[in-house]
Amino acid sequence: MFLHARFTTNHIFTEYCNVGIYFAGLWCSKNFLIHKIYIGVEVMVIENSLPILLSRLDFAWITSMHILWTPMTIGMSWLLFIMEVVWLRTGDERWYKINRFVEKIFLINFGAGVATGVTMEMAFGILYGPFSQAVGPFFGNILGFETITAFMYEAGFIGLMVFGWGKIGKGMHLFATFNVALASSLSAMWILVANSWMQTPDGIFLKDGLFQVKNWWHAIFNNNFQWGFPHMWVACVELALFALVGLSGFFILKNRNADLFTKLLKPTLLALIIVTPVQIYIGDSIGRVVAQTQPTSLAAMEGHYHTYLPDGKVNTGWHLIAIPNAKNDGNVFAITIPYVLSILETHTLNGKVPGMDSFPANDRPDVWVPFYSFRVMVAIGFFLFFIAIWGNWLRLRGKLNASELRKRPWFLRALVFSAFLPYLAIWCGWWTREVGRQPWVVNGLMRTYQGASHMPVAAEIFWWIGYIIFELTVWAGSWYFFTRVIKKGVDGIPDSSTLFEHDHTDDADIKAGGGHVTPTFASKPMLRSDR
Amino acid sequence: MDLLSIGRITGTLSTWWWLLLSLAFFLYIATDGTDLGAGIFALFSRDEEERGAIMASMAGMWDGNESWLVVAGGVLFGAFPLVYGSAFNYLMIPLAFALWGIISRAVAFEFHVHAKKSKSFWGWAFAVGSLFPTFFAGVALGAVLQGFPMKSGLAMQSALAAHGINVHDYTTPIMHFSGGVFAFLTPFSIWTGVGAVIAASLAGGLYLCARFIPGDPIHERARSWTNVVSLLALAAIVITLIWSYAIFPWASDKWTGSDWWVWLIWFVIVLFFAFKSSTNHAARRDFSAMMWGIGVVALLWTAMWATIFPYIVPNTWTIAQAANPADSIAVFTLFMTGFFPIMIMYNWYQIWVFRGRFSKKMAYGAH
Repeated sequence: MFLHARFTTNHIFTEYCNVGIYFAGLWCSKNFLIHKIYIGVEVMVIENSLPILLSRLDFAWITSMHILWTPMTIGMSWLLFIMEVVWLRTGDERWYKINRFVEKIFLINFGAGVATGVTMEMAFGILYGPFSQAVGPFFGNILGFETITAFMYEAGFIGLMVFGWGKIGKGMHLFATFNVALASSLSAMWILVANSWMQTPDGIFLKDGLFQVKNWWHAIFNNNFQWGFPHMWVACVELALFALVGLSGFFILKNRNADLFTKLLKPTLLALIIVTPVQIYIGDSIGRVVAQTQPTSLAAMEGHYHTYLPDGKVNTGWHLIAIPNAKNDGNVFAITIPYVLSILETHTLNGKVPGMDSFPANDRPDVWVPFYSFRVMVAIGFFLFFIAIWGNWLRLRGKLNASELRKRPWFLRALVFSAFLPYLAIWCGWWTREVGRQPWVVNGLMRTYQGASHMPVAAEIFWWIGYIIFELTVWAGSWYFFTRVIKKGVDGIPDSSTLFEHDHTDDADIKAGGGHVTPTFASKPMLRSDR
Repeated sequence: MDLLSIGRITGTLSTWWWLLLSLAFFLYIATDGTDLGAGIFALFSRDEEERGAIMASMAGMWDGNESWLVVAGGVLFGAFPLVYGSAFNYLMIPLAFALWGIISRAVAFEFHVHAKKSKSFWGWAFAVGSLFPTFFAGVALGAVLQGFPMKSGLAMQSALAAHGINVHDYTTPIMHFSGGVFAFLTPFSIWTGVGAVIAASLAGGLYLCARFIPGDPIHERARSWTNVVSLLALAAIVITLIWSYAIFPWASDKWTGSDWWVWLIWFVIVLFFAFKSSTNHAARRDFSAMMWGIGVVALLWTAMWATIFPYIVPNTWTIAQAANPADSIAVFTLFMTGFFPIMIMYNWYQIWVFRGRFSKKMAYGAH
């Protein structure tokens, strides 16, 4: 697959030259790597100039604020589905209660996701119009698939799932929950297809200024997607599991419904002892794909400036901490461990890893963001693995019951703390991915500044300030109402036996247009505190 | 002529997607138009209880309805990325305001339920968040009808040049938007914004009449609201037609061309639908009144798209110029067309499940 990518990219490159567009292909031979970007100052990456930096910030801001919500929807919908199945099979009322409680948080989260998501759908055209036009034949199709198969599908069933309790049959309701879960995962898949293709643009050729598709299979299942999608999807599940873990920790700590939440904690921690190491393994795999296909991104992630040491030997050092210099051609300070980088990337002691100096100054991404966000993400990944081990170790020792747990407040506090970490890890992962790809918007083929829309700096600032206000309002509001829901707790949730008890006092001769209709919306449990 | 030439197939499929684009926009206007109009009605609500009841009446449906807008955006990106990438750039400001409205509205739905002290804040966020998308979508529509300037090359050239960076070696045959940020702003586009607010207000009034029990305060206020707004809407239709006739040669040529009688008959049918809507409304057959009203929208929308043909954006992008390459449009058709009936079916099922009349108290309690 990788060899194929090499071939295609070279091919695309020739096509670019034919239409007189200048691009540098990362995998093209070095003779082609000539940059004729005329800038008054010395060497500067145009992507870091104010107009382009602002267009990047505009997009980065709305994307970062959107991804606060979607992982919870994707992961939690499956957990809600599982809980509903368990409730229906065992008839255990406790699973119903937990389901209905978590669903309230899920719904607030979903609303915030839709609110921030509609913007995303339009933002490609608004902020990156020329990019959207050029990549339309593939990328546009994929985004179209996403909205039609996933977004609409999901929105259609979520109404039934959340408001349909007691109005549709139990089987139909389970079906709705399943479809919400499936649709949101499909949505994630298409988005990751599109973004992964920007990292490893395979299966396309350039004609008339458009990236046209030569092989759909190669374009969709591009190198980066093969590990990128599992990495994101597992991250969503991990985030949702840790949300349950954090909630359980909080309730047990406050001694509210402690037994109920201990019941939730057990299977959740068991799932995490599998999910957290799997995620670390997948993360390592996507890291190797990046090393092979995006060497500049890898060099930035590792703050690896020099391929060779001053004495001519291969530079094998891995930096724990580094402070890049202002010219972005070396580190001012670094704590370095020899051999580790070569072992990580080539699985040999002295393997050569191309440093930033292997690439023209114009092709080097910023180091600060990828270097540190990558490290934070990895650290969180291992910390969460540690929490899963801790929890299951307690269980093995028979300590996973409410009274024993309450003797270990630090464990419970660690659980609550862990619920926030996946969010930070996901942010950091995406920042690494997106900043590491710079200065390209389509890796090796289209530069970010070539894809930015026609707009003055003032308009970019207007957009940014507007979205700072609105997205922060959404964020603050959601958090406020999360706390409200948590404060109310599970006690007010009526039993599932009340679901189909309709209040028949007020449905006399009331008809909506046409059909025979009873106002089932106002069924008893709905009237009470469960909304 | 080769019936199966690639060019011919592409042309047919592109036109097919142009029709589906029109359908997606229509379904958005028809379904979410009522929601948005009810939100505009809620601007004039006297108490928070009423706003809450109006919100509750659409709680299970509004996101499904709104998704048609997202589908329309997806179709535009999937089938006509050249239009998507230039028109949305042109409409940056109105879209930003519309999206901010949509954001406020979406979160207001979730937060209004949980809020205690801030209930009236979220009630207003819902109402204003209904007005903004309606007005600015109308502005955007008017602006698109007027077309926009384009050129090829580096889109960010001028902004970069203002910062001392000159890129000389980038060329591309793709035409991108090249006008100013306020190019969308004209008297006509402001008028279409106002027109959209009037149209949505009417749809919202008809919806509230059908949704709430006769005799309920909301039902009764919606009834008199509808009576007033329907007259405004009729005037708005006539003004928009005359204005369009005056400033758009592509429209006036078609309307007064050899097929003038088709347009005339169509207009008579529109008037008939409007008349039926109004008589059903007077007879308190509220659901029928709403459906006849949506019929008016369907007829006018169809007429508009027929007038625009073969353009997507008049005098800017024709279907043929804007279409994706044959391969992409074929794949999109193969995999996505089948979803349209499915989506319509479950959107309908969802509305069906949440049918039934409300009263103010009952809805507020359920909310």
